[in-house]
Amino acid sequence: MPEPLLYLKATGAAAIASAVIVLAMVGIRRPASGAWINSACVVGSGLGLALGYYLLSLRLAWPPANGLDRFAMIVVPAILAVELIAGVPCVPCWVAWLLRLSLATLVPRILLHGSVYISRSDDGWSPWETIAILAVSSVLLAGLWSLLTWLSVRSPGASIPLTLGMAVQCAGVTVMLAGYIKGGAAAFPLAATIVVTTLVAGPRMKSTAPPSNHSLPALIGIGVFSLFCLLFIGRYFGRLSTGCMVVILLAPLLCWVTELPVLRDRKPWIVGAIRLTLVAIPLVVVLLLAKREFDLKFSPLLGSTSAPMSRICEGG
Amino acid sequence: MRQLNFVSTLTLVIGMIVCAGARPVSAADDYAYDLVHSSVSFKARHLDISWIHGRFNEVEGKFSIDREEPSKSTFELTIKTDSVDTANEARDEHLRQPDYFDTKQFPTIQFTSTKTKAIDGGYEVTGDFTMHGTTKQITLVLMGGKEHDFKGTKRVAFSTELSLKRSDYGFDPKAIGPIGDAALIMIDCEGVRK
Repeated sequence: MPEPLLYLKATGAAAIASAVIVLAMVGIRRPASGAWINSACVVGSGLGLALGYYLLSLRLAWPPANGLDRFAMIVVPAILAVELIAGVPCVPCWVAWLLRLSLATLVPRILLHGSVYISRSDDGWSPWETIAILAVSSVLLAGLWSLLTWLSVRSPGASIPLTLGMAVQCAGVTVMLAGYIKGGAAAFPLAATIVVTTLVAGPRMKSTAPPSNHSLPALIGIGVFSLFCLLFIGRYFGRLSTGCMVVILLAPLLCWVTELPVLRDRKPWIVGAIRLTLVAIPLVVVLLLAKREFDLKFSPLLGSTSAPMSRICEGG
Repeated sequence: MRQLNFVSTLTLVIGMIVCAGARPVSAADDYAYDLVHSSVSFKARHLDISWIHGRFNEVEGKFSIDREEPSKSTFELTIKTDSVDTANEARDEHLRQPDYFDTKQFPTIQFTSTKTKAIDGGYEVTGDFTMHGTTKQITLVLMGGKEHDFKGTKRVAFSTELSLKRSDYGFDPKAIGPIGDAALIMIDCEGVRK
């Protein structure tokens, strides 16, 4: 049953913990390098998320029993570890990308482990279907990640991780409206850590040099992976539609619109505002459609044409 | 001498073939679950004031009954969780999601007997009950077992009820909410002799 107060508590705690940790780590080493700030973002996000999930009482199991368990217990630590390693200055760029692409290849298979899809049962996929779906998913994930990282190098700014935070939050609410409450709730602390860490670390990045380091690749990695995993779980274990999944997943790519010649040389805050607005438009449309679908689907169950979300479980 | 060797070898080969083809003598009768004349239904408390009823429409099973040595009888039942039916499609969709049955991760509920004992009017069957990825040993009291010949087909039927707590099987207590933790499962199954 949805518990708004609990979500608020977990979200707030995750945000505060992330902010405090990033500020503390940046404060320890002055002047902080871009790599150090990125590492602070990874540690801050990880600990903030851990606290948020602890307060949400997600009852994660080891060994992981379902998709959400595998996301929280395997994928999140893996992406944090990869970004931590990638942030070490002596690690070559190709090693960092090899690790990232390897993870992007493995993640869809990890999330589907033990499920009906790949169990060779009557309801499962054929070997070719499995290969095709896993390959397309991995390419989508790796493609999104590469394009956003590339954009952040071309035109650095906090707006990219912020749009990812927005998309993660939208994914959570949409998954919840599709009927998977726990899966949707997992997005709240995630979005909070991404947004708050960006807001805290972003201004500190400006004081570092060279300018190409002003991006926050670690937060982009965490954001892209979290977004993909939540949508993937919502699609294949919940009842999230493929259309919603694709729109939310690809919405952050609208940030590339600001690379058009007419917008590229605008002031950074204008570019950021345009990016946030452009990404927000499809997200709001998806949310409205999801709400309408929720009302249509569950109104017979609830005995009304429009009912609050919290009543869904009273019937089911 | 060569002829004697040939005859001995032939005898040995024929003997081995005959032995391999022979079936062990068994008094057990094998039955297949008859979906048309069986049902697996359940009910759970709603707000602690009423009961919500539902059933599973896709069930498979088989049982082997040894009338002479009942302890050798075996029972197996597999319920497809995706077939949950509470007479409301929206609620069924919700029940299939990971907050409840998580049917894409745990597509079946299974019972496999490990010990059978004859009792007055039926059998007491102990076995492994797996639901939502958790396996627990339970004991069912199966009432019935009398064979009936209907138009040349031999049938046998059993009925049982099972009470369990969903929280014992890894269901999220938060998702339990206004639906009671305890659920009552009613199984009425008819088997057709193979």
